[in-house]
Amino acid sequence: MTDKPVLTLRDLSIEFPTPKGVVKAVKHLNLTIQKGRRVGFIGESGSGKTTTALAVMQMLAEPGRVASGTIDLSGTDVLALSEEEIRKARLSRIAYIPQGAMNSLNPVMRIEPQLWDGIIAHEGNMDRAELKRRSDEALTSVGLPAHTGTLYPHELSGGMKQRVCIALGIILNPDLIIADEPTSALDVVTQRQVMQTLNDIQAQIGSGLILIGHDMGLMAQSVDELAVLKDGELVEHGTVKQIIEAPKHPYTQDLISSVPLVGGESFLNPERNAQAPKRASNEPLLRFENVRKDYGPVTALHPMSFALQGDTPQIISIVGQSGSGKSTMGSIMLGFNPPSQGRVLFEGQDVATMSAAQSLEFRKNVQAVFQDPYSCFNPFYRVNHALKFPFKQFGLAQSEAHTQKAMEAACDAVGLDPDLVLSRYPHQLSGGQRQRLIVARALMLSPKLLIADEPVSMVDASLRATILSNIYDLKDKYGISILYITHDLATAYHVSDYVMVLYKGHVVEAGPPKEVIGQPQHPYTQLLIDSIPWPDLNRAWGGGRDDWDPASLEAEAERAGAVYRGDVAGFELAQV
Amino acid sequence: MTDAPITRSERRQQKRLKRFDNPWMNPKLIWGAGLLLGIIALGLIGRVLWDPELVFTGSATLKLPPVGFENLRKQPGVWSNPLGTDGGGRDMLALIIIGAPNTLFVGLLASLIGMSIGIFLGFSAGFVGGRTDDTIRVLADVMITIPPLLILVVFQSAFGDVTLTMMALLIAGFVWQSPTRLIRAQVLSMKQSGYVQMAQLSGASTSHIMFREMMPNLVPYLFGSFIASVTTSIVTAVGLEVLGLGPQRIPTLGRTIYEAINAGALIQNLWWWWGIPTLLLATMFIGLLLINLGLDEVSNPRLRKLS
Repeated sequence: MTDKPVLTLRDLSIEFPTPKGVVKAVKHLNLTIQKGRRVGFIGESGSGKTTTALAVMQMLAEPGRVASGTIDLSGTDVLALSEEEIRKARLSRIAYIPQGAMNSLNPVMRIEPQLWDGIIAHEGNMDRAELKRRSDEALTSVGLPAHTGTLYPHELSGGMKQRVCIALGIILNPDLIIADEPTSALDVVTQRQVMQTLNDIQAQIGSGLILIGHDMGLMAQSVDELAVLKDGELVEHGTVKQIIEAPKHPYTQDLISSVPLVGGESFLNPERNAQAPKRASNEPLLRFENVRKDYGPVTALHPMSFALQGDTPQIISIVGQSGSGKSTMGSIMLGFNPPSQGRVLFEGQDVATMSAAQSLEFRKNVQAVFQDPYSCFNPFYRVNHALKFPFKQFGLAQSEAHTQKAMEAACDAVGLDPDLVLSRYPHQLSGGQRQRLIVARALMLSPKLLIADEPVSMVDASLRATILSNIYDLKDKYGISILYITHDLATAYHVSDYVMVLYKGHVVEAGPPKEVIGQPQHPYTQLLIDSIPWPDLNRAWGGGRDDWDPASLEAEAERAGAVYRGDVAGFELAQV
Repeated sequence: MTDAPITRSERRQQKRLKRFDNPWMNPKLIWGAGLLLGIIALGLIGRVLWDPELVFTGSATLKLPPVGFENLRKQPGVWSNPLGTDGGGRDMLALIIIGAPNTLFVGLLASLIGMSIGIFLGFSAGFVGGRTDDTIRVLADVMITIPPLLILVVFQSAFGDVTLTMMALLIAGFVWQSPTRLIRAQVLSMKQSGYVQMAQLSGASTSHIMFREMMPNLVPYLFGSFIASVTTSIVTAVGLEVLGLGPQRIPTLGRTIYEAINAGALIQNLWWWWGIPTLLLATMFIGLLLINLGLDEVSNPRLRKLS
């Protein structure tokens, strides 16, 4: 490390003047990045990590401005550069790999010309054959076949598009690559592939890398140094080893402990004392009879039958990647989406042919928590509307005071202060608070079944455990059966009584979580578990094997039959 | 925020920002509404303070200029006709007192009817979907391509003399398409939103979802669309009147311009005859435009600037 550092930030402060006063997005940040080092910026949304990265490229959104400090890019003072000079420096010296690769490519241009644009802008016009040679080289270096260049963006998968973005970033061998949550839109298997590509290419050209993210596990597997940001301040900085093994700042400790581990200590405190509400009928609470769903020629869900008895409260997890059909299952259960074939029975009654009164009863008894807490509240009303309205609609309210009391009790139960949140508008609350309110809403209605579709995937990592334990409490303290739909195997491991792994609309492995996730047998489950980045330096990604080839593993998964790993009382899955 | 005492300029800026907190108090909206209310006030107060009968009786001297000017015959303006008279000896002030509110009335009525049709069809198309949606969409798309003035010219010539209400009704038949499309698009996207799903889960009825959950969020769009269609309606109405196809016996701004052109006011340099109604129309359009821009700021906070 005798070289000059690639990037030196000295006392950097960035502020945004807003109608409510000046917001300090970054406060007195000092950081040095050496050549060839990978540095992770980790923190919650709003902690200033992206803002810092954008400031390095002088691409702060209006009206943001650097209030003080210097940015030194291997000897050049970035802040003193003119518009034209910084334009030249972008891409050739600092490359930025954006978050949503899906939207970063021009949809009406082939890939090649988009790569050439960067070269021509910096090095002037050149021979077409030379351009072609360099774009092919860049594409092969990120593990894509050279003919990808002749395709349009919509012909590529998400992972391929993200790699094209990496190819775009490294085509001029920059000194510094900034990757802003490059894998946040990808599922775990693709995430691992993309991160490996990024790390390989960075090692090859020897540049510095800033990886922005909020996933401690991903950081542990991919960077050398870690900078923890909170509210615009650098709270801790050190090598990954130091930080993971001996975090000093309480916030860092929180971040690390909030990542649930398979087999690790549970973040829940199980106290099973609740009984399921007494039910009049002996019919199972929910039964799928050969349910199948097609979207045009694509079969999203292959015929599936199961029965959830619901006499003892249980949590059934449905696990899979995006496109596995798990969310389709959720919307079929809620009756939002009629099955193409088969029947869904709620207490023996077909959901599709219910009368108005039965339908209201069904709605009262089957509630849901959706993925996106931001859109679940009508922006026009105060948040208590979402709690009050169903309570009255289902005839549970006795009086205005009774409703108010029930709302306050539900808020207390999920750890929210009713005086603070209930009379606010949705945009005044954080994602975590909103999601907890939705859980409180379910609690007020005391349904028999709750369908939780990725309830924590859009919530900041530090809050996930809290919300999951709120949901877990629904089962334990209030006796509600829960169907937990998720892509996160680690949380499924802890909360569920039974796990179904879905792959392309088929159940590939099912059984109690200790068996299915603890010792997976089906190749697909193994692939999923290998792809999870653990915040544990001794547990390298996928066991540290170099010959990791998801394509062949997936092919193997296609061939393998379903594996059933034992039953739990109260839930029967028909074996196909 | 900071420990240092704030300077005067900072305090002034804070004050300005505070005023900015209420989006409905933005200057564009206030100015626009002010201009339109001014025209309505002119009509109301004018009827009390001035004699509206002067519109019909050609009792004054013909072609008198406004006070302070002379016409080609060297006649100076007189205070009994402060804005001059037209070729028939009618008082210009009385003409605009009666005519300007009439023009505005046609515009408002036509777009009120058009918007109601648009809301109804838009919600039906977005909610019911399927055949209904296809029919309504195709109908709206076809109607958008037809230039309304062309059809209306034929209609009005066939009808002969029409009342203001009749004309508003005819125009309404051509201003429902864009609100229909706009509302349909919004309803379709809102149908997928989390809060509508939540309302469905809460056992809400379709009408509850439409009017209690969706409608309030449409209000800024509805306002904007309403103002836009008022503008279109007035343009169409004035266009017809200038062609001489509007109501024959009721004074409107468009009709006054038609008569001025017909009587050769442009050649005879009787600028007040056509100029004053044109000025009023321009004021009306600027008012509507400002309201539209103001409403845009209300519904789209990103347009609110800092300085």
